[in-house]
Amino acid sequence: MTAETKTRAELPQGVARLTARWWIFLAALGLLTLVGVYAYAQEATTGMIVTGMRNVGTMGGATWALYISMVVYFIGVSFAGVTVAALIRIFNLDHLRPIVRIAELLTVVALVLGGLAIIADLGQPLRGIVNLFKYARPQSPFFGTFTLVVAGYLFASLVYLYLGGRRDAARLADYSGNGLRWYHRLWAMGYKDTPEERQRHRTVSFWLALSIIPLLIVAHSTLGFVFGLQVGRPGWYGTLQAPAFVALAGVSGIGLIIVFAAIVRRSLGLQLQINMRIFRWLGTFLMVMLFVYLYFLVVELLTLLYATPEVEKRLSDALLFGEYAPVYWSSVGALVVSVVALAVMALRRSWGLGWVVAAGVLVNLAAIGKRFLIVVPSQTHGMLLPYEIGSYTPTWEELAVVMGLFSLGALLLVGFLKTFPAVPLDIADIPRPEDKEDSAHA
Amino acid sequence: MRRLITMAMIVIGVGLMLLGYFMSAPWGADSVVNSDPRIPFSPAIFVLGVVTVFSSALVYELLPNRFE
Repeated sequence: MTAETKTRAELPQGVARLTARWWIFLAALGLLTLVGVYAYAQEATTGMIVTGMRNVGTMGGATWALYISMVVYFIGVSFAGVTVAALIRIFNLDHLRPIVRIAELLTVVALVLGGLAIIADLGQPLRGIVNLFKYARPQSPFFGTFTLVVAGYLFASLVYLYLGGRRDAARLADYSGNGLRWYHRLWAMGYKDTPEERQRHRTVSFWLALSIIPLLIVAHSTLGFVFGLQVGRPGWYGTLQAPAFVALAGVSGIGLIIVFAAIVRRSLGLQLQINMRIFRWLGTFLMVMLFVYLYFLVVELLTLLYATPEVEKRLSDALLFGEYAPVYWSSVGALVVSVVALAVMALRRSWGLGWVVAAGVLVNLAAIGKRFLIVVPSQTHGMLLPYEIGSYTPTWEELAVVMGLFSLGALLLVGFLKTFPAVPLDIADIPRPEDKEDSAHA
Repeated sequence: MRRLITMAMIVIGVGLMLLGYFMSAPWGADSVVNSDPRIPFSPAIFVLGVVTVFSSALVYELLPNRFE
């Protein structure tokens, strides 16, 4: 490490610096998380009866509901983080390197939240976990979801995040007055930043990136197959489920990276590093993914409306004109508004940060709505047996658990950003002239 | 040495994945009753294989220089 870094007492990017406002923010998040824990405790002690979930058909309800919608959403969000990080490393997209850690972090946190949402959905979580390790069968898409998504994908993302941070950890450990020196030393694990170590890291990053991309496509398709292979469930069974899952995963994930990057940029004053050029690239990527997903949506809609069998028609009526119509049309509207806004900016070659962030927020709200519509209506309205049409309304316990998950996610993100730099230090130190120019237009 | 250990981990990991996968599948089972995994916790063996493969990246980077 250089002598210059040793003399600077203050850690970069607000690491280990908590002002009163940060403490209040953390306390608020902690409180919301505790509310979620309390709601889950109610569920764990009283049973699933406190939720709005009921048996399909006989009890006129849905056994997979808000929690499973959130599982699909969170795992979808994780897709884009590691994809962007891998693309940056494979194709040497150097101008995007400032967001590489943000993207990796988002993937890890989203996967943790996805795993917790699965546990919240299980009436007997321990039995569920043990039986998956004991009896999971490769014929079931759950095998892929459990082994590839939750285990392999989360572990690979953690390895990726850890190895990518060693160099910065070693630099931070050299700062005088660093109260977190033990943590940074532990992370650095003896890293000395020698040319050999750098070369080794480049090699590992490349191969990890290369192996993660097929893994995550298989993993996300598997999640789509959980629904798409169910022959007896109208609305789920179909060849488009897996690719549409991947496309919407890309949309929500890129959208959230945009939002998170904008928050980090503003709260840590990183306008020079996380510049407009990055948001332009992310906005264009989001626009392309949105077009692909909207194409799937139109194909799905046409198939639903054209010479529909009776049960499918009942489902499509509920989605398009019935009780799910407000969620359906507001989700579609949010997607269309976002793609139009992004396309206009792309055509005019003039990007506004506010609009890109608004598109990121809108597509995520739409993704939550669409995930809910994939999961629930096929159970309440998609029975092949002559049961009455069902309904599902989440209870406060379910809403509180989901709110708690989001708060926990925010806590993890903030916790990380207050102990480790969001932007790799070698980039943060030396803003390039074109970045300065770009940030001026932001 | 570093490469050898890393490659060995990848090979062992892939081997565990294949073992876990095929031992989890009820190949040749004549009924659902006999369709449990051939080896207890074989799905966990598959997961262990995936984790071993990705751990090889950690080993490659973290092994001290004397393993060159």
